[in-house]
Amino acid sequence: MRISTVLSIPKGAASILLRYYNWSVSKVHDEWFANEEKVRKAVGFLEKPVIEYPNVKELTCGICFEAYPPDKIHSAACGHSFCNTCWAGYISTAINDGPGCLMLRCPDPSCAAAVGQDMIRELSSNEDYEKYSRYFIRSYVEDNRKTKWCPYPGCDYAVDFVVGSGSYDVTCRCAYSFCWNCTEEAHRPVDCGTVAKWILKNSAESENMNWILANSKPCPKCKRPIEKNQGCMHITCTPPCKFEFCWLCLGAWSDHGERTGGFYACNRYETAKQEGVYDEAEKRREMAKNSLERYTHYYERWATNQSSRAKALVDLQQMQSVHLEKLSDIQCQPESQLKFITEAWLQIVECRRVLKWTYAYGYYLPEYEHAKRQFFEYLQGEAESGLERLHQCAEKELQVYLNAEGQSKDFNGFRTKLAGLTSVTRNYFENLVRALENGLSDVDSHGASSRTASAKSVGGTSSKGKAGRSKPTTSRSSSSNRNIDDTGHWSCEHCTVANVRGLFERKRVSLSQPFASGIVKAKSIVG
Amino acid sequence: MANSNLPRRIIKETQRLLSEPAPGISASPSEDNMRYFNVMILGPTQSPYEGGVFKLELFLPEEYPMAAPKVRFLTKIYHPNIDKLGRICLDILKDKWSPALQIRTVLLSIQALLSAPNPDDPLSENIAKHWKSSEAEAVETAKEWTRLYASGA
Repeated sequence: MRISTVLSIPKGAASILLRYYNWSVSKVHDEWFANEEKVRKAVGFLEKPVIEYPNVKELTCGICFEAYPPDKIHSAACGHSFCNTCWAGYISTAINDGPGCLMLRCPDPSCAAAVGQDMIRELSSNEDYEKYSRYFIRSYVEDNRKTKWCPYPGCDYAVDFVVGSGSYDVTCRCAYSFCWNCTEEAHRPVDCGTVAKWILKNSAESENMNWILANSKPCPKCKRPIEKNQGCMHITCTPPCKFEFCWLCLGAWSDHGERTGGFYACNRYETAKQEGVYDEAEKRREMAKNSLERYTHYYERWATNQSSRAKALVDLQQMQSVHLEKLSDIQCQPESQLKFITEAWLQIVECRRVLKWTYAYGYYLPEYEHAKRQFFEYLQGEAESGLERLHQCAEKELQVYLNAEGQSKDFNGFRTKLAGLTSVTRNYFENLVRALENGLSDVDSHGASSRTASAKSVGGTSSKGKAGRSKPTTSRSSSSNRNIDDTGHWSCEHCTVANVRGLFERKRVSLSQPFASGIVKAKSIVG
Repeated sequence: MANSNLPRRIIKETQRLLSEPAPGISASPSEDNMRYFNVMILGPTQSPYEGGVFKLELFLPEEYPMAAPKVRFLTKIYHPNIDKLGRICLDILKDKWSPALQIRTVLLSIQALLSAPNPDDPLSENIAKHWKSSEAEAVETAKEWTRLYASGA
C-alpha cells in the first residue's frame, strides 16, 4: 500500500487510517501531515506502550483474571494484556455486533489503542475472521466515495467510478448499466429527479396500469387478443385475419408513413387524442380521466421499449451463443467478421433504453412549452423510426442469411447496410441524448418559429436524414430478399415490385402462408 | 442451575466485592443464583439522593463478561437518566461496555450518575424537561422522592 510507505507505518495501520478517513488517500495525507499527533489519537495509534512489562514469568489477563505465561497473552500497542481466549471472545463479540468491529480498540475502557487486522486474524476463528473481512470489504465499497455496489440483483461486483468522465452512467462487469448518482438503471438523458418521480408514479399507478396493459391488446380488426412476441411495432395478426397494424396506436399499418411522422414512427399522442379514432382510446376515455390517459400513453411506450429492450438482450445473447456460429458456417465468414451484428444488437439495446427514458422525459415536459414539445416529439419520432429500421434490419433481414442454403452473394451489401444503420443510429441517439440533457436549449434560443433551424443544429437529425437518403435504393433486391429501404418503399419478397405507400397493403393480402416467417410474428392467445 | 460452571472471573469478582466493598455500595449474590446480585447504593453526599438507600438488582448474563451486566433500580427514584421501571441510561451498560470493566466499576459509575445527572441524554423525557427548565424545583422533587421511597429501606 502506498500509504504504508509514505507515512512509514505498518500496512495494518495504514488500512485502519484509510478506513477512518473513508478510504480517501488524499484525506489521509492531509490530516496526517497537518497534525500527526491528532490523527494518531483519533485512530488509536500509540507511539509507545502505556504499560511495559519487564521479563515476567506470568501475566494476569485483565478479563478472566487468570495468570498466564507470556506466550498465552496478547496486547495491542498499549500493552494491556489479555489472554488469547478472552481476546477471541472479545473480538468475536465485536464482530458479531456489526461493522463497528473495524474500529476495534483495546478492551481496557481507558485505552484507545487500535486493534488491527493482523491481531484479529491471529486471535479469531476462521468464521469470525471471514465475517470481519466481509465488513472490511463492505466498508471499502460503501464508505468510499469512488466505489459502489452494482445494484443489479444477485450481482456481487462493486464498481469504481472515474471522476470527470462527464456522465454518471456506469457499466458493471456484469453488463448492467446504472446511474452512479441515484443507482437506478442508466437513464440518460433524463435526470435523476425525473426518474425518481417517474418510478414513484409507476409504482403508485401500477395497479391501474396492470389491467389497462395486461400483456395483450385486441387485434383492432378481429378483436382477438394479441401478445407481442418480437421487437418491432409492425404487427400482423395470424390468418385468417392477417390484419397489419401498429402495436402502439393500433391503427392500420398502411396509415403509417409520412403523415405519422416517419414510416415507423408512432409517437403522436396528441394527434391520436384529437382524432379519437381508436377504439381503445375511446374506451379508455370512458374509463379513465384525462390525466391517467395521458400517463398511460407515456407509460405504455416506456414499458413497451423496456420489454423490447429485454427481448433484444435475449436476442443478443442468442445471437452470440448460437446464430453467429451458424451464420459464420453458412456465409463462410470468420466470426470476427460478424462483429458488426453484435454491435448492431448492442446499439439496439442501448437505443431502447434511451428511447424508453425519453417517454419519462416527455411526460414531464410541460404542456405549455409548445415549441419544445413539438421539437421533442419530432426528435423522438425520428429516433423511433431510425431505431425501428435498425431493429428490423438486424432482426428480420438477417434471418434471410441465417436461413440461406449457402453463401449469399449480397451478404457484403447487408454488412454495409447494417453497419451503416448502426453508426447512423448511434450518432443520432448520441445527439438526441445531448439535446435532451441540455433541456432542448436550442428551442429557447431560436424560438418556436425557427424549429427547422434548431432541428438542423442538433446535427444528428440532419446528418441522419441525408445519410439515409443518400444510400443506394435497394428496393429491387433478389427474389429471396424482402426489403424495406430507407425511402419507405416495400419490396415484395415474392415478386419484384417495389410497393409505394398505399399499394403494399393490397399486395400483402395476397401473400401466401409461408410468409409467417416473414415480417412480424403475432401470437394469438385465443384460438 | 446457573451456579455450576461459574467462571472463575465471576467467583473472583464476587469474593472481592464481599471482602473489600466499595464505599457506599454493597453487592451480594443471591443464594440460589450466583449470577443474580442484590445491590444497595447509598445516595451520594451533596446530591438530592443523600440519605437515601437505593436497592438495585444486577444480573450477569451467560455471555458476561463479553456482554454487560443487566442492572435496574428497584427503588423509585426521580432522576433524568432513570425511568419509572428503574432502567438506567448509562453508556457502559450499552455500547461502551468492555469486558475489562467489572461489577464494581459499573456500580461506581451508577453512583457517580446519581451525583451528576445528565438531562441532555435523558431516559425519562418529563424528568429531564423538568430538570432543564427549573433545576432547583426538580432537585426538590428528587429529594422528596428520596425521602418518600428510599429512606429506611
